[in-house]
Amino acid sequence: MTKKQAAKAVIFLAGFIFILITVTYIIRTNGDVKDRFVGFYAEKDNTIDAIMVGSSPVYPFYSAPKLYGEQGIAAYPLSTNNQRPKAIKYLLKEAQKTQDPSLFIIELRMFTMPDEEWEDTMVFTRGVTDNLKYSWNRVQAINALVSDKSERYTYYFDIFKYHSNWKTMVMPSQLACWRYEKAHPLKGLEIKYGVGPTERVDLSGVTQAQEPAAEQVEVLYDLLSWIEDSGKDALFLVSPYVMEEADKKQYNYIIPIIEEAGYRVLDLNDHVEEMGLDFGTDFYDYGSHVNALGEAKCTAFLGDYLDRNYDLPDRRGQAGYESWDSAWALYQEAQAQAEASCLDDIANENWAPEVID
Amino acid sequence: MSITSFSFLCFFAAVLFLYYVIPKKAQWSFLLFVSFAFFMTSSEVTESGGWYVIFYPLAAVAAVYFAARLMDRTKEQKKRRAALICAVIFCIGLLCTLKFFRLPLLAPMGISFYTLTLLGYLFDVYYEIGKVQNNYGKLVLFTCYFPTMVSGPILKYGEMEEQLYSGHKLDYRRVTFGMQRMLWGFFKKLVISERMAVIANEIFNNYESYAGFPVWIGAIAFTFQLYTDFAGCMDIVLGISECFGIILPENFNAPFLARNISEYWRRWHITLGTWLKEYLFYPLLRTKFFMQLPKKLKDKVGKKRAKQITTFLAMFLLWFAIGYWHGGTWNFIIGSGLLHWFYIVSGELAEPLFVKMRAFFHIKTESRGFILFQRLRTFLLVVLGLIFFRSSTVSDALRMIGRGFSAFNPQIFVDGTLFSFGLDWIELTIAVVSLLIFEWVTIQQQKGWMRERLEKTNIVVRWIVLYALLFYVILLGQYGPGYSASEFIYQNFKV
Repeated sequence: MTKKQAAKAVIFLAGFIFILITVTYIIRTNGDVKDRFVGFYAEKDNTIDAIMVGSSPVYPFYSAPKLYGEQGIAAYPLSTNNQRPKAIKYLLKEAQKTQDPSLFIIELRMFTMPDEEWEDTMVFTRGVTDNLKYSWNRVQAINALVSDKSERYTYYFDIFKYHSNWKTMVMPSQLACWRYEKAHPLKGLEIKYGVGPTERVDLSGVTQAQEPAAEQVEVLYDLLSWIEDSGKDALFLVSPYVMEEADKKQYNYIIPIIEEAGYRVLDLNDHVEEMGLDFGTDFYDYGSHVNALGEAKCTAFLGDYLDRNYDLPDRRGQAGYESWDSAWALYQEAQAQAEASCLDDIANENWAPEVID
Repeated sequence: MSITSFSFLCFFAAVLFLYYVIPKKAQWSFLLFVSFAFFMTSSEVTESGGWYVIFYPLAAVAAVYFAARLMDRTKEQKKRRAALICAVIFCIGLLCTLKFFRLPLLAPMGISFYTLTLLGYLFDVYYEIGKVQNNYGKLVLFTCYFPTMVSGPILKYGEMEEQLYSGHKLDYRRVTFGMQRMLWGFFKKLVISERMAVIANEIFNNYESYAGFPVWIGAIAFTFQLYTDFAGCMDIVLGISECFGIILPENFNAPFLARNISEYWRRWHITLGTWLKEYLFYPLLRTKFFMQLPKKLKDKVGKKRAKQITTFLAMFLLWFAIGYWHGGTWNFIIGSGLLHWFYIVSGELAEPLFVKMRAFFHIKTESRGFILFQRLRTFLLVVLGLIFFRSSTVSDALRMIGRGFSAFNPQIFVDGTLFSFGLDWIELTIAVVSLLIFEWVTIQQQKGWMRERLEKTNIVVRWIVLYALLFYVILLGQYGPGYSASEFIYQNFKV
């Protein structure tokens, strides 16, 4: 083989890899999670000060535009449904490739659930791995999240999974993702409509501790150690929900570990009255996730907490944050509509359909 | 390990790399080792735990190895014949025990193919038309060379000896040609065959719900499924081997361009046809019985007819063997054997009548229209045979054919019924467009290899074509999670 032939082979292979990656990014399944991640990648480098990770108690609970509009905090949620705690470290690593956040905000709800419950459900793992750009960090995330080695290749090369989505290639919104970067108008927020009333369960009297699944404790220790090595600060959150006693006991086990490591934990369930959160009106799914009314309260409380306890810069009016101004304006409009809809539902007792897990 | 799997592609890439970095002298030993490794990843070993199946081919090769060496060393015809018979009985016995008799024993991958390859070598040594191989390992490689273990082709020792054991330098052109051929095989298997399988499975599995044209659509879909599956497999196999510098014999030559059934069989599964002709049909005609039969019949039916009857009888045995090899049950014996024998015999018997008819209607035999008619007629006869081949039993096949004639419903082509056979309009369009591309290329290949023609084009055009085909297969192929690309049909159908 001559040098010229070798060069041709290399160039052909490089072209193939480039097209393969581009096509994969385009045909990855469209939806809220993809929008949130391509939105993150589209953010200008080094403009985000806080990264929020965790599962569904993140993206409908805390509004990045509101945090920016009211406190000037630039925060972005890299959250996915049932995000396995094992994924958190890799998501934070991914965020640090283009951003230099000074604070990691980590939601804890998934730490109370054994990992094996979620590993078998491919979609939750893919929610993370198939929304990362191709990189070595992604490979490591897959190795950590997929224990069946024979299946890993379909994660490494997710076109194996998504090639049947080729029909979506004609959609402009999909084509726009060819670099896996497309601005998210609401900075990753999902505003939830509907009202599913429930009643608050007061577990303040539960003081016993119960060890969560062993692998989750191991993941927590590993995460704390990694955060310490990274030199960043972290805030651990427990978002409000209708908690069971077993969950509370597990939080009682986890929280001291985190605090001992030198990080704050904010359990919003302990501040429900202070926040003005009403379990009868502020949830859309009967106690698990908040609607627009609840989101406004949770975000306001978190924003205030961050303002008081962390030295995050006020980015309002700074150059490079024009898209955040737009997001704040759009948010106010969309939020007003959603809140009005929720109030209308409450007035008419038009409750959301029950969601069966 | 399926050759369409991702793990196989990784395995192949690693093997190809190592093959060209080790000394040329060691290449054949390396291929032998790789063939063992490939064999040990077959489903018989990995899924059923039958690691011992590796000893079946090793034992068969040992029997043939010693018999061939004995035949080579002695001129005593009795001893030579005894050695031949012993080895043949051993190999056929093993094949029959493991496959035909359906005993609860695991049969090794490729047994029907490697047994014929091995016996062909033995016969060549016996008839002194082939050289003997004195290295057992080399004979094992010839028998179990890993690309051929899936579905052949059946090899001839004389054609392979030089290629298999002499080393090969990395040849860019050869490797790229091999990979292009593999890609074309993947196109046939993953894009066309898997889609055709959806229609064929739906109609064959529920034929009692269909009548008229849907039945024939199912039969035609299966015909294309089988062809693109087998020919696709062969393209991948031959492409893999070409990358190693080892050119394997072709198994297909555009069979649907055949103008009659005899020609069809010269174009379909060529190596099997050649093997059976050389090692079964001709030797059969040279037996005492068949030599004397024309003489016995001459007085009763005349010299010409006596010769014809003798040939037809030998052909009957040949076609029975072909049918039996494909499946061992009557639907295979009829569908890919005796029905074809009937076509050929009746065609030959009716030929004088056809000649008269052509003269009466002033038909020019080389006119495009007549050639097209002949090709279409041959194709439909093949389709009819494949209904038996695909059906579970002969009575199922007959009932299905009966249902095909029980209704005349051309409206199905316009009323949307076509999209109810398992493929929606987009999938069906992809299947049809892909078939048209495939047929166009097949016709173009009659003028010479597309790869060579492509090589002569501008690099930009060439790369666009290659990238287009590559991503056509990647995006439109039926593989990965959510699909279960079936194994190659010939890997399972043969006994």
